Amino acid sequence: MPSSSYDLAEKAIEEGEKLGAQYIEARYVNSRMNTSILKNGVPELGAIARNNGIGIRVLKDGGVGFASFNEMTKEEMSIAVAFATKMAEATGRRRSKKIVFSDEKIHEVKFEAVGESGKRPFEVDPEAKINRLMGMDKLLAELKTNAVIPFRFFQMLDETEKKYIITNEGAKIESEIDRLQLFGIIVAVNQTTGSKEQIMIQKGKTGGLESLDYWKIEDFVTKETTKLSKIVTESKESPTGVIDYVVGPNVIGIMCHENTGHPTEGDRILGREGAQAGESYLKENMIGQQIGSEHVTIIDDPTLEGSYGYYLYDDEGVKAGPRYLHNKGVFEEMLHNRESAAWMGTKSTAAARAIGFNREPIPRMANTYLAPGTFEYEELFEDIKLGVFMNNFTEWNIDDRRYQSKYVGLEAYLIENGEIKHMVRRPVIETTTPKLWGSVDAVAKEKYLEFDAATCGKGDPMQGAPVYHGGSFMRIRNVEVR
Amino acid sequence: MIMGNKIDIENILDLSANKLNSLEFDDFTITAIRGNRSQLRFADSQITIAKNWASLELGVFAAKDSKTVAIEIQDLSENSIISALESLEKLAKSLPPNQNYFGISDGPFSYPAIEYLADTDFVEFHDQSIDQVQGAINAAEAEGAKRSAGVLAWEVKEEHLLSSKGASVSENSTSYEFSIRSFIDETSSGADVEVGRLFSKVDFERAGSRAGEIAKMAIGGTNGDPGKYNILLEPRVAADVVAATPGAANPFMVDIGMSWLKDKIGEPIGPELVSVYDDALLPNGLGSKSFDDEGHPTGRNVIVEKGILKGFIHNTSTAKKAGTTSTGNAGLVLPQNSNVFFEPGEHTFEELLELTKGKPALYITNNWYTRFTSYADGIFSSIPRDGMFIIENGEISKPVRELRISDTMGNVFKNVTALGKEIKQIKSWEVNVPTFIPHVLIEDINISAATK
Repeated sequence: MPSSSYDLAEKAIEEGEKLGAQYIEARYVNSRMNTSILKNGVPELGAIARNNGIGIRVLKDGGVGFASFNEMTKEEMSIAVAFATKMAEATGRRRSKKIVFSDEKIHEVKFEAVGESGKRPFEVDPEAKINRLMGMDKLLAELKTNAVIPFRFFQMLDETEKKYIITNEGAKIESEIDRLQLFGIIVAVNQTTGSKEQIMIQKGKTGGLESLDYWKIEDFVTKETTKLSKIVTESKESPTGVIDYVVGPNVIGIMCHENTGHPTEGDRILGREGAQAGESYLKENMIGQQIGSEHVTIIDDPTLEGSYGYYLYDDEGVKAGPRYLHNKGVFEEMLHNRESAAWMGTKSTAAARAIGFNREPIPRMANTYLAPGTFEYEELFEDIKLGVFMNNFTEWNIDDRRYQSKYVGLEAYLIENGEIKHMVRRPVIETTTPKLWGSVDAVAKEKYLEFDAATCGKGDPMQGAPVYHGGSFMRIRNVEVR
Repeated sequence: MIMGNKIDIENILDLSANKLNSLEFDDFTITAIRGNRSQLRFADSQITIAKNWASLELGVFAAKDSKTVAIEIQDLSENSIISALESLEKLAKSLPPNQNYFGISDGPFSYPAIEYLADTDFVEFHDQSIDQVQGAINAAEAEGAKRSAGVLAWEVKEEHLLSSKGASVSENSTSYEFSIRSFIDETSSGADVEVGRLFSKVDFERAGSRAGEIAKMAIGGTNGDPGKYNILLEPRVAADVVAATPGAANPFMVDIGMSWLKDKIGEPIGPELVSVYDDALLPNGLGSKSFDDEGHPTGRNVIVEKGILKGFIHNTSTAKKAGTTSTGNAGLVLPQNSNVFFEPGEHTFEELLELTKGKPALYITNNWYTRFTSYADGIFSSIPRDGMFIIENGEISKPVRELRISDTMGNVFKNVTALGKEIKQIKSWEVNVPTFIPHVLIEDINISAATK
């Protein structure tokens, strides 16, 4: 246990108080990461990262200052505290609207989410990790399909992160979290036409190397690659006009994340990310407004066990729980840290996350999903005359108010008279958020609920946050496809 | 290890080199970067947070029996460094050989001199930073902006590199990056960026004024119609969607199916008027640097000459595999661009507007969220943000909204029809590689729109 680093964090609080900080937090983070990169079966690099440092945030005179350091000396700490305090004061003095933080219950707790015994990232031999990755890749290299698979890229990253957050209000949060992530790109080529399709795979989970078994990773990548080959060799043109869609967990997940998670972030609604990730079509006075149909309940819950976005207390020490962003189609809650909550005269929803000691805590998603409904999978298709079943997606984007989005299908099928027929190529849903959520008329049961991992980008400097997103299956009526 | 209140960089370089030698690595490079970076973020025309990062990072790339490993260490006590390097050796032992590895650059080295890497007056930045930001916000307001958001970041950096092949070099640099986005109402906005290395060149008021001006022009925009358009791009849009093609001239990206330039060297990929370089020697360039991550001297390398794809950027290994020599673009894992530089054209902005006559045309001032259906085919879409305008009869006629560039990178590059004569350096939230590029006019690009 790096007691000297803990001591430095604690001394930073004392120094900040002496300098008149109204609020000061010190966040010590020690992270040990291991990465393996495999390019077309060749181990391109094995890499290690040992990150260690303290971030200081101060609220004084209505301004906020932040400073971080990794040369763990008393002098560096003092410089950081002095900078954060002085700059909070200097910028706060010039603000006509003073920044305040919401009052929150103070906690002194420890929590952890670590891998199974013997499977934690630092317990598993690097050779075992690379062998597992190479074995998986070999399956793809030897896979017999109708297409060729000329490009395979995999990166496996494991991490153990220890964090100690302390504030002058008395909060003291100590945590230890293991994470495993697998990222992959696979490209299939139709030998006759030269046409190509790509799939980007991202798996992520809190825990150790046992996650590879949980994902049945070898089966998963083999199945996805087989499907990719079918898409590039067998799929036909997608229908246009006004049709119905059924979309799978992977598509629902990204829609929940992009069309609802981001626009419900309190700081975006306040314009704090205006020059970077943008603002939001949702406004403070729209709370209680109907955004989608009654079938649309979208929850963000950091406390889902084993999830990639898991935490029990956020980086401001606020206790986390599920946030109902949309409840039966109604805009109900926002993702708040203490700053955005105070602006709106409400309480934090424990969404403050800082990715690394050298980043400020800002409102972020954790695990965002569409609450399951009451339908059987088959029932979703029964009365569709002409439609498309989009099980996962490839290209996507959304404007920076999160109003008009585009999702291009990867694994997709024609639906005709209630039956799933042949594969169709690159169907597109390009529509507005209210139209999308307003057109949902059925959601499948909980037994179909699945999550995908992603790295959510936001902030300046960029903070890539581990998140889950997911759902079961849902039906969207009358989507115009051009 | 700690000298006064700072860790001594020479000591940690020597300690690391001695340890790597004793662990019998065949090749290694060690970098130590000490930076002091500050940032002011603002929104609703007021500063939301002031930040400072004091950092020292040690990076090692090493190879043993062609097994390639790397480490990044911020935990810099002597024990931590020794233990981390021992872990690195254990990791190297556990790996199979990297058949794509052909060593690192061998000395002796002679490094180019680059003008304006560091500004000795830079310390003034700290004192003037708040006023500088306020000046830009005021300039935007003078144009009619109701609120502005953005960021000013500035950095003083020293970088040291030592390699097992005789490289021993260091470099100091300064830099600033400013971006502002101004709003008149929720959907009428404009943006601009201003980046460089020299304090004397700073003109954030100009950026604020331009952001406000575009926002004002965007008032009353209506939803645009999908279809084929000639598009006139501001440099910051061109730095994303046009410069993506020279950015794809990277053998690592080709190898993993993330480039649309496989087997295209020697072929025409654009019109004769387009020539592009990767140029690490540009004065005031944010990517300018005299040595790469192998300690190899950097330079100016042609990527596209008169529309023909001439070559890729390389490190020692990718170059040997391709039968050529390193271009001095080694990154820790893959070759990396320094500055991407487009030769300017001969047109004024007004002339470019004139050249759109007779065809439906759009002037796009900013964009974001570029994503690919297929990197290997370059099929992508990207979303214009801030002011976007219909051009009619050679003049900007009316603001439009809610459109998307949906085409291929191949088409975008091939269909360039004219370039402006003034180049601007761009680095932004969306554009990571510093890019020097003028206004670009492109014909027949597919524009899509969301259905209601």
